[in-house]
Amino acid sequence: MSAPSKSRWIDDDDPETQAAIERQKREKEARKRAKAERQRRAEEEETARTREAAAEKQPYGTVNGENGPPTKRRRLSGEPSADGSATGPQKRPGEGGAPAGQRSLLRFPGPEWGPCRHVDNFERLNHIEEGSYGWVSRAKDITTGEIVALKKLKMDNSPDGFPVTGLREIQTLLESRHTNIVYLREVVMGNKMDDVFLVMDFLEHDLKTLLDDMREPFLPSEIKTLLSQIVSGLDFLHSHWIMHRDLKTSNLLLNNRGEVKIADFGMARYYGDPPPKLTQLVVTLWYRAPELLLGAEKYGPEIDMWSIGCIFGELLTKEPLLQGKNEVDQVSKIFALTGPPTSQTWPSFRSLPNAKSLRLPASSIAASSAPEGKPPLLPRSKFPFLTNAGLQLLSALLALNPTARPSALDCLTHPYFREDPRPKAKEMFPTFPSKAGMERRRRRETPEAPKRGQEAPPLDFAGVFGGAPGGDTGETGAGFTLRLG
Amino acid sequence: MAPPAAALSSLSNALATVEQLSSSSSSIDGVAPDLEASIRFAGAQLTQAAGILLRLSQDIIAQAIVTFTRFWAGPEGGSLRIYSVKDVSAAALYMTAKLSFEPTSPRSVLNVYALLLSKEASPLWFVNPRRQDPTDKPAPAPETYYLSEGDYQTQRQVLFRIESVILRTLGFNTHVVLPHTVALTYLQTLGVSTPALANRVFEHLNAGLLSPQLLYLTHQPNALAVAAIYLAAREVNVKLVDSEWWEVFDVDREQLGFLVVGMKSMEGFARAEKVKWETRTVPLVVEDVDAEIERRRMMEEGG
Repeated sequence: MSAPSKSRWIDDDDPETQAAIERQKREKEARKRAKAERQRRAEEEETARTREAAAEKQPYGTVNGENGPPTKRRRLSGEPSADGSATGPQKRPGEGGAPAGQRSLLRFPGPEWGPCRHVDNFERLNHIEEGSYGWVSRAKDITTGEIVALKKLKMDNSPDGFPVTGLREIQTLLESRHTNIVYLREVVMGNKMDDVFLVMDFLEHDLKTLLDDMREPFLPSEIKTLLSQIVSGLDFLHSHWIMHRDLKTSNLLLNNRGEVKIADFGMARYYGDPPPKLTQLVVTLWYRAPELLLGAEKYGPEIDMWSIGCIFGELLTKEPLLQGKNEVDQVSKIFALTGPPTSQTWPSFRSLPNAKSLRLPASSIAASSAPEGKPPLLPRSKFPFLTNAGLQLLSALLALNPTARPSALDCLTHPYFREDPRPKAKEMFPTFPSKAGMERRRRRETPEAPKRGQEAPPLDFAGVFGGAPGGDTGETGAGFTLRLG
Repeated sequence: MAPPAAALSSLSNALATVEQLSSSSSSIDGVAPDLEASIRFAGAQLTQAAGILLRLSQDIIAQAIVTFTRFWAGPEGGSLRIYSVKDVSAAALYMTAKLSFEPTSPRSVLNVYALLLSKEASPLWFVNPRRQDPTDKPAPAPETYYLSEGDYQTQRQVLFRIESVILRTLGFNTHVVLPHTVALTYLQTLGVSTPALANRVFEHLNAGLLSPQLLYLTHQPNALAVAAIYLAAREVNVKLVDSEWWEVFDVDREQLGFLVVGMKSMEGFARAEKVKWETRTVPLVVEDVDAEIERRRMMEEGG
């Protein structure tokens, strides 16, 4: 970009200027080629579509008619069987033959497998960020010109061969084909044995950076659009027995068409019923559910719902809801917001390993005034602009007792999403300048996701309410100043 | 109404393409088709035996065998003259267990393979053909299947390297759906879920994993389940409904026929293999494969 700054009267002979002009020309041409390629592909698709549409219109009797042989295409279930004989030759072993009579049999998708491509098929454009599980950069597919996100897996010299977290990330992402989950296109490899890259759709923003840069929080209608998309993505995961285990605003991506997608499956894994043995050290501290903090050995998808509650709160206020400095401080912040657990609201919490050192203020036992079966409402003053339905949903998501939290499906049917203001249409969603492409981001203040293989630290929760261990000075607890105010 | 394709992924598998079935990396490298089938058959059995000794559940073992079988398919798959069957078997099993709810350690895996590949101590007929009835012979000396620390370190590196090779060859597609649970559901739907029938169905499904026709690479789980039920019901003399019940489970007559023949031929194939390799060992490492190919060439020239 040095050429335009010079005077136009200056002699263009100097080699530097020439080189710059040359370079610009080349770049322009490359862009043009990429565009032409896109155009060509679009046209091809268009003609394919019209051809298909024409084939659709053919009446059944024209198999040997003036149109010659019918267009070859993959058979779909539910088609009339009149052209069954014509599609015989393209039948594949797994797909079976023509259905007898009028019965139509379900055809399963028959994807294929093949070796990984090389990362040299992509041109690295710029660095986006470094997460705890890999480096992400923006890249261009050299053959198609499409912009993608390229994530290099960290191999961390694991003593167990290929890191299981990376394997799980790929396995769960490949399974999660949903509009609200980031699309893993393929896995490519580098020159070395442990260079592995995930090729994903590129999205312009992540919610964390966006919230940091916004002057005002999202509008209520926009929050509903965002939240309902996040929850439907999560509902898909949970219905496929996948726990995400690291939901937070920086892992939620947004494109300029108002679509949110869940990303970073570095902690995701399958779970089962009965639940398998799971590591306790999951989810970034600020979004970590109380049962995990209190050392529960068995947990389920409810931990993701807690994170959704934290994200909901963050969307409302633009600030992370519970910013604990460490595990003990986090528990104290949680209880300050929700009030301490009681034997009514969370009957089983006393049996959790870390709950033994927890000393609840005596006054809290009487303070519970919630109706039976429902978690107590959060303090209204904290969310002044939220409707009653919204506050109910938020309080339910942030219920201390995991069994009291709604499932993702419950959330989607909550009255909050049906009352005015309605969720804003995705097409009407505001757009923002994308930071992800052009500049290196500033370091986040969010604590990092826990590292795999770390031991859960032994925690002493005696100080959660400010009292020294053994002392009963509960009234100085942070939780109560808030409740009273 | 057909559900969207994505919703079916938990019931369906990736299938081999026509190209992957018609040629393989090994055949390009000069391995005769019958030798390739023999080696693959032995390798799948090796995986099954190792899984049992590691006390893994059958669904993990079966998934590992499918992954093992996929690895060799197609011109872009693995070649028997580059990768040793025993290493691919171990790595497939180790990797599948790692992703499951019952992970196992590299040391356990390598110990088990040391035993199974020992020419003196192995209980497998294709490794230890002189093996007699174990009761009337003294137990083999532990030294014959002991894995020294040095061997462990080298083989662990091989295990990890081959694991990466498998993942790259399969494009990281580790998704395998098995027909076993599907079959149980179908038995219940048909109202014939007796233990005897279910047992026989599982026997056919497990035997099908070893099929030289690569049934698990060419057919979806629902078709495998239906064929196993059809065959087992005839063998156990359980009467099924008269109508074309397989169509309820989205399998047509032609497909069913092919699979039933394939599953029924398994026993004959296994017996023939045992006779064929009666006095010799099936080559499970690259050098032995090379030697076997050389031996065959000499035989041809001599005869």
